[in-house]
Amino acid sequence: MNMIPQVKLNPITVEVIGSAFASTVEEMGEALVRASYSTNIKERRDCSTALFDAEGRMLCQAEHIPMHLGSFIGFVPYVLRHFGQDGIQPGDVFMGNDAYEGGGTHLPDIVLAEPIFVEGKLVAWAINTAHHSDFADRGHAHIYQEGLRIPPVKLYRQGELQEDIQRMFLLNCQVPAERISDLRAQLAANRLGNIRMTELCAKYGLDTVLAAGSELMNYAERKMRAGIAAIPDGRYEFRDVFDSESLEVPLDLSVTIEVRGDEIALDFTSPPQVRAGLNVVYTALLATVYYAVKTVVDPTVLPNAGLARPITVTAQEGTLLRCAHPAAVDGRITACQRVVDLIHGALAQVVPHRVTAASNGSVAVASFDGRREDGSLWVYLETIGGGFGARHDKDGLDGVHVHMTNTSNLPVEALENEYPITLRRYELVDGSGGDGQFVGGMGLRRVYRAEKPCRVQVMGARLSSQPWGLDGGKPGASGYFSLNGKRNGFERAPVDLVPGDILEIVTPGAGGYGDPARRDAAARDRDLRENRLAHGT
Amino acid sequence: MTWRIGVDSGGTFTDVCLFDDTSGEVTIWKVPSTPDDPSRGITQGVAEGLEQVSTDAGAISFLGHGTTVATNALIQGRGVKTGLITTDGFRDLLEIGRQKRPDLYDLQADKPETLVPRDLRLGVVERVRTDGSVEEALDEDAFREAVRDLKAQGVESVAVSFLYSFLNDAHERRAARIIAEEFPEAFTAISSDIAPEFREYERLSTTVVNAYLGPVMQGYVRALKKKLTDLGLKVAPQLTQSNGGVIAFDTAAEMPVRTVLSGPSTGVVAAQAIGRMTGIENLITFDMGGTSSDVALLSGGECRVVNEAVVHGYPLKVPMLDIHTVGAGGGSIAYVDNGGLLKVGPRSAGANPGPACYGLGNDEPTVTDANVVLQTQNPEYLLNGRMKIDRDLSVAAIQKLADRLGMEMLETANGILDIVVANMAKAIRVISVQRGHDPRDYTLVAFGGAGPVQAARLARELGMSRVLVPRTPGVLCALGLLMTDLRSDFSATSLMRLDQATPEQVEAIFTDLRNRAAAWFEAEDIAPPARALNLAVDVRYAGQNYEIAVAIPDGPVTTETFDTIREGFLAAHRQLYGFVAEGEPMQLVTFRAAASGLVQKADFAPQPLEGADAGAAVTGARPVWMVEARDFVEATLYDRALLKAGNVVPGPAIIDQMDSTTVVPPGMAATVDPYLNLILEAAQ
Repeated sequence: MNMIPQVKLNPITVEVIGSAFASTVEEMGEALVRASYSTNIKERRDCSTALFDAEGRMLCQAEHIPMHLGSFIGFVPYVLRHFGQDGIQPGDVFMGNDAYEGGGTHLPDIVLAEPIFVEGKLVAWAINTAHHSDFADRGHAHIYQEGLRIPPVKLYRQGELQEDIQRMFLLNCQVPAERISDLRAQLAANRLGNIRMTELCAKYGLDTVLAAGSELMNYAERKMRAGIAAIPDGRYEFRDVFDSESLEVPLDLSVTIEVRGDEIALDFTSPPQVRAGLNVVYTALLATVYYAVKTVVDPTVLPNAGLARPITVTAQEGTLLRCAHPAAVDGRITACQRVVDLIHGALAQVVPHRVTAASNGSVAVASFDGRREDGSLWVYLETIGGGFGARHDKDGLDGVHVHMTNTSNLPVEALENEYPITLRRYELVDGSGGDGQFVGGMGLRRVYRAEKPCRVQVMGARLSSQPWGLDGGKPGASGYFSLNGKRNGFERAPVDLVPGDILEIVTPGAGGYGDPARRDAAARDRDLRENRLAHGT
Repeated sequence: MTWRIGVDSGGTFTDVCLFDDTSGEVTIWKVPSTPDDPSRGITQGVAEGLEQVSTDAGAISFLGHGTTVATNALIQGRGVKTGLITTDGFRDLLEIGRQKRPDLYDLQADKPETLVPRDLRLGVVERVRTDGSVEEALDEDAFREAVRDLKAQGVESVAVSFLYSFLNDAHERRAARIIAEEFPEAFTAISSDIAPEFREYERLSTTVVNAYLGPVMQGYVRALKKKLTDLGLKVAPQLTQSNGGVIAFDTAAEMPVRTVLSGPSTGVVAAQAIGRMTGIENLITFDMGGTSSDVALLSGGECRVVNEAVVHGYPLKVPMLDIHTVGAGGGSIAYVDNGGLLKVGPRSAGANPGPACYGLGNDEPTVTDANVVLQTQNPEYLLNGRMKIDRDLSVAAIQKLADRLGMEMLETANGILDIVVANMAKAIRVISVQRGHDPRDYTLVAFGGAGPVQAARLARELGMSRVLVPRTPGVLCALGLLMTDLRSDFSATSLMRLDQATPEQVEAIFTDLRNRAAAWFEAEDIAPPARALNLAVDVRYAGQNYEIAVAIPDGPVTTETFDTIREGFLAAHRQLYGFVAEGEPMQLVTFRAAASGLVQKADFAPQPLEGADAGAAVTGARPVWMVEARDFVEATLYDRALLKAGNVVPGPAIIDQMDSTTVVPPGMAATVDPYLNLILEAAQ
């Protein structure tokens, strides 16, 4: 049933209401970050906010973390199916995280959604997700090891906190004090979204706002189609290997992209799902494809449900890139980074100026946990950027987060104040950017020293393979981990650290673009002067 | 007879505002700016301005100056060759920043240029721990070697930023002495002097920007001071900082990073002074120029000072008025994108070729063209008749856009204004609703050449019922310089839980800040009666990362002071986030003292009211397309210079003056107040 009323709109009203949506989701995001307590949100900003319409279609997502779209697109439709219109009341707040029941992509990303009622009618949803840095030191053979699975449930029922649900959730968390504070910030963010949407409807009229929301999706679709139509029709394939600390041997991944007129179809082939936290659920695959296609077709397309309409995504169920219950999914973002590389690699054959050489293709993670003197537990998780691929007419970027994530680092002065860890070095890795006419970005080195006994689990990819170059550009360097100076494969499982232990994480660089012989002489001088290339190059 | 002079030096014009302390008369003088050496244009403007009022520089009792020298050097990469010495292992932090890429989706986006190249960033062994204790002493030989190395490489400036220097500055102090020994001619910026606060990257960035701009600013103020002294100026000239206060030229040259928002902050200060005069103290300022617009909020007559912001891509931890900039102004270009929606800006036609109606070769429609087509702006001339324009060219440009949209030409012109107004409203929401203020409780102060044209419409979009247009909206910044106090901000970071802190501990910190402020009062030669000190502390829940500033009364710190802090924090937290966390401990983070030296300000005498009839100022009438009627209506035209205090101008009307145009829509009326401001409100 199409609930969107027919209202005559001009393009100006649509634009004005579109900017109101955008400023609302941005304001929700600021409130979430500022009111939160955990370092992962207050400093690293690992959270996202959005508005959805009553039918479960995204109206607008803030520019936070592309991966989080995967947690949003399945959530509201699930709630609508499961609870029905009559089961959703003003003042309800739904909470969930599960990858198989409710549309999440991994368990730490906890989604809170609040229905927005205007004139007694459900008209929209305020929704946000925050990566709760918890569920540490768990297993990843299957999802039951990875943390508490929460299907969308009511944390608030018509304004009443469901204390039993909250207590059960907190009991399953290692750092309940942070969890409750972050949940409070998430609630405040949705409440703001609700207030702003209600004000908007009061001002322009409900029908006008809903019709504009629908038109904004059509608008995103038109822009997307115009961009796809500009890519020559054809079939483009690309193949890459996926390696990780938790895989015995690298896996083959491939994509076949078919561009026909103003539509694009992507078909992924990957091995059967693995007993490791690297599997990708379908909504995470969709979020990844939407991101990657948007970067190539038109980075300015509005982030709403309309952009997905000309895109078809297929993959065999039960495979790494479209896993089925009970596959573990905690580190799905690493595989998703490789999906972006596949798409860019395939499209490089036809629009080489719109893509980059391979970026670091990894999200290096260090997850520390330990016990404080008062007996409470602490968990600290950080993700580390690396090289960003060279462009057709300029160098890549050094030491940044690429593609599916964009979290901040934690200041040294915050890290050492909150956790018994000292950071010894944080720097760009000499020679890690692939050489080329345009040089790939450099990876990062982060060296930690444990001050108290604790445990750490590291994760990463491009440890044996290298980020590829384009058009004769050289590959970037691989990443590695070392413990007390030894690179001995310790990273397969969580390790115990004693005071004084030194952990080093080196993230991959990125591929170069074009034959190195064509590099401009002044740029080459700078490479040498600044020690940016591998010694002996 | 003495004169107070404000000089605002912008990209296109240098505005000089002269105030006669005896008569209270204001004289405005405008000369073209000289961007290659702004001091020339300024000196010429001052000299010519003095000629206008038949006096000489010896009669000047105060000269205040707002400048874009620091901002422009930063945007255009015209700072000096700078070296950086930092803790070993962290020399790349300047380039890594917060590891975020510059744009989420655009693969072609770049970060702003790193101000110190990698080979001029050197690490030296030293390490202070999180409690301020020294783990590894500064390797002084290595540091000395690093300074020599930078000197040999030809740097002009050296920045030093070590970890935790906000807790323990001993290594940085020693470093400064070694630089003075080895390389005394270098401009030196030390992080514990520039921004002694938590978070190493932002402190580092601020210190580097200061070093990068230092010699540029020093050269500029020396040249300007010499020229003004040669002109006969007897008093020490003052320069506006980003916090809205003025400071002596030489001090400004030591801390150029504190002047990057010097220009726009003077407009806010002017609005503040007007608010004080008129008794309207809840204000939102709207300064619309040719390519961009600035908005700010004053609550109870005060503009929030933020202690950190990202300026042109560089994080700066210095006190700045909370000014929000939007990339749209009168020259912004309107176009239809490939999805069929109308967009305005950020591309601008600038002053040359300028809007289509200038006939200088641009055929894309701008915001000004929309106003010309709708005749809200004079369709034949600009600048009081000094510049002829061609409305037909505006019509042609907008017609093309209308054809693509399938809309009427006039509706399209109106739509351009709708979108501009929506963009401005979005910026104002950031500084009002996002900070817990309802714009409906505020008066919109419109200035800049283009502000008063859109103001009534913008106010309605935000539900604001009153608009104030100052008497000289086009040169308000220069006027603001006559109303600015001297100001310097002092801060100290020390984390402590409120429930565990003692009044003695807090008192000790404030005593130190008071001593630093007292030294500054002495250095600036501010007499005791003119000294004012405002204290505040940044508070958060223990565990949060963003603090809320809570003002506290000056005087000894007692347990009552703690109650003030607690209550102030809870009220502000509830206003910002909609909740308080019952029973959670609060943490004090940064203690602040804002020292003001109250200067004698230009004092505007109220004019006697002359009655409501504004008939004597009527110059004619023309049809103006008004959004309220969605059609042309006959609007009466007024000459602002002829309006007297007490006059009431009923809408629809257009009030013209040399530096701007004010639109009074149907249903509203503009009243001239005793200070010759226009106050637009719903007609009685």
